[in-house]
Amino acid sequence: MVGDILVNTLINTGVYAMLAVGFSLMFGVARLINLAHTAFYMLAGYSIFFFITRMGLPWLPSVLLSILIVVVVAVVSYKALIDPMRERETTVLILTIALALVLQEVMLILFGGYFRSVPSALSGYSTILGVRVTNQYLLTLGVVAVTLVAVWLLLMRTKLGLAIRATAQDREIANVMGMCDSRTATVTVAIAAALAGVAGAVVAPLYILEPRIWLPPLTIVLAIAVLGGLGSLKGSLLGAVIIALSESLVVFLVPQGSFFKGAFSLGVMILVLLIRPEGLYGVAFEEER
Amino acid sequence: MLLEVRNVTVCYDTAMLLNDVSLEVAEGELLALVGPNGAGKTTLLRTIAGLVRWERELRRGTRAGNITVEGEILFDGERIDRLPPHEIAARGLVLCPERRRPFRELSVLDNLRAGAYLVRDRRKVAETLEMVYALFPVLKSRSGQVSGTLSGGEQQMLAIGRALMTQPRLLCIDEPSTGLAPRVCRELFAKIKEIAETGITVLLVEQDVRLAFSLSTRNYILSHSRVVAEGTGEELLKDEKVRRSYLGLAASAGA
Repeated sequence: MVGDILVNTLINTGVYAMLAVGFSLMFGVARLINLAHTAFYMLAGYSIFFFITRMGLPWLPSVLLSILIVVVVAVVSYKALIDPMRERETTVLILTIALALVLQEVMLILFGGYFRSVPSALSGYSTILGVRVTNQYLLTLGVVAVTLVAVWLLLMRTKLGLAIRATAQDREIANVMGMCDSRTATVTVAIAAALAGVAGAVVAPLYILEPRIWLPPLTIVLAIAVLGGLGSLKGSLLGAVIIALSESLVVFLVPQGSFFKGAFSLGVMILVLLIRPEGLYGVAFEEER
Repeated sequence: MLLEVRNVTVCYDTAMLLNDVSLEVAEGELLALVGPNGAGKTTLLRTIAGLVRWERELRRGTRAGNITVEGEILFDGERIDRLPPHEIAARGLVLCPERRRPFRELSVLDNLRAGAYLVRDRRKVAETLEMVYALFPVLKSRSGQVSGTLSGGEQQMLAIGRALMTQPRLLCIDEPSTGLAPRVCRELFAKIKEIAETGITVLLVEQDVRLAFSLSTRNYILSHSRVVAEGTGEELLKDEKVRRSYLGLAASAGA
């Protein structure tokens, strides 16, 4: 049990990090506050449910197909809906909420409002240092860790990653250095969606699936982004660790703590906005002129 | 002519920032563009680099005011005034922007690598990097440092180094002296002269007239959105009217 709690906290940290990094990158590179971001996570959960329970596919192809679907839906909706409007900030915000709600309703129509669950890929448990941990948790943790490392390498070691980081810092100057901002933005949306897809696909077997599960993580991701500083990579990683760890502490140490989960992250967000609105690593916004 | 600007007029809403500006830069020149604050020097460089048009595209459909751009800009005989900034960069025209603007969270080395984004030949990148490090040794010793923590002078060196990494044929430098101590400034201008001597054409925007004239081969004076005079530093300093009206220098210094 202790092991599961520990691993669960680590998984949460990783999942929050995956969601927050994508969210933050999209803001930095595409100047897009994507409130539909966690709806992609929900979509991935339903896709894997569909492929495993309805199509009878094995776990790995289901995960890969789910990620592919999420990326396609995200890129198409970005190109068709958001990109033409992208400098109208309020319109974009409303559009992304609309997109999230549409996805929610489509899932409701396709799969109904029931609580669904995705069967575990692995059964049984392992004992590590005398602590029992279910294999499904270990698998999830492994996938999360590998994904985060892969994204980190992509961002830090490749030319594409350099373009993404540079564009997130200063879109105009990145252009002057020969980086096409609209192409970088599209690739970033694809990467962010893939991250949300991985997150949704791997945690689906651990949690209950229903069409509104995108909302709670959205508030958490917003809190992390605000805490770390919107657009900052380091900030979103550190923010994810802080929020996930303190959330676990609240849930396990405070009586009835799980009821405070959402309130806790929103509380952090309010505090940060009051004390240090630019967040941990945020840059005080420089006018792009 | 490497760069020809023909009758360029730029308006932000009703404000005319450039009024029928024409100028030419020949290959190998170190051309200085001087003039008072608000004359339109930065706007001209931004127009040449494609940023004004890019900004106009971004504003389309928003409540921000309209930008209009008229006239033609030719680089190496071909029109570039309708190209996006990244394609202009690909042709070898690079802007080293006002206020330096390093990618602040990125290391010095990553900033320089970002400049080499379009260069495919790895050996060429390594060579240029060595060249930049030789020009500005401090960048080498700080290559791992986050660029936002560099001093103003170091950031300016980084900005110029980053621009050099693009392998430019024309390097446009906007107000490199801003906020720098006189000594640092002189060092920097000596480096700019060195860069020009390697065969890279330089278009330098500068407010400090004497500093600019000390290294330029030819100059334009921009005032109130127009080109008002053109010539070598010597010629311009001799002209009493130019001295008084545009350069803010005393009427006669016995020159």
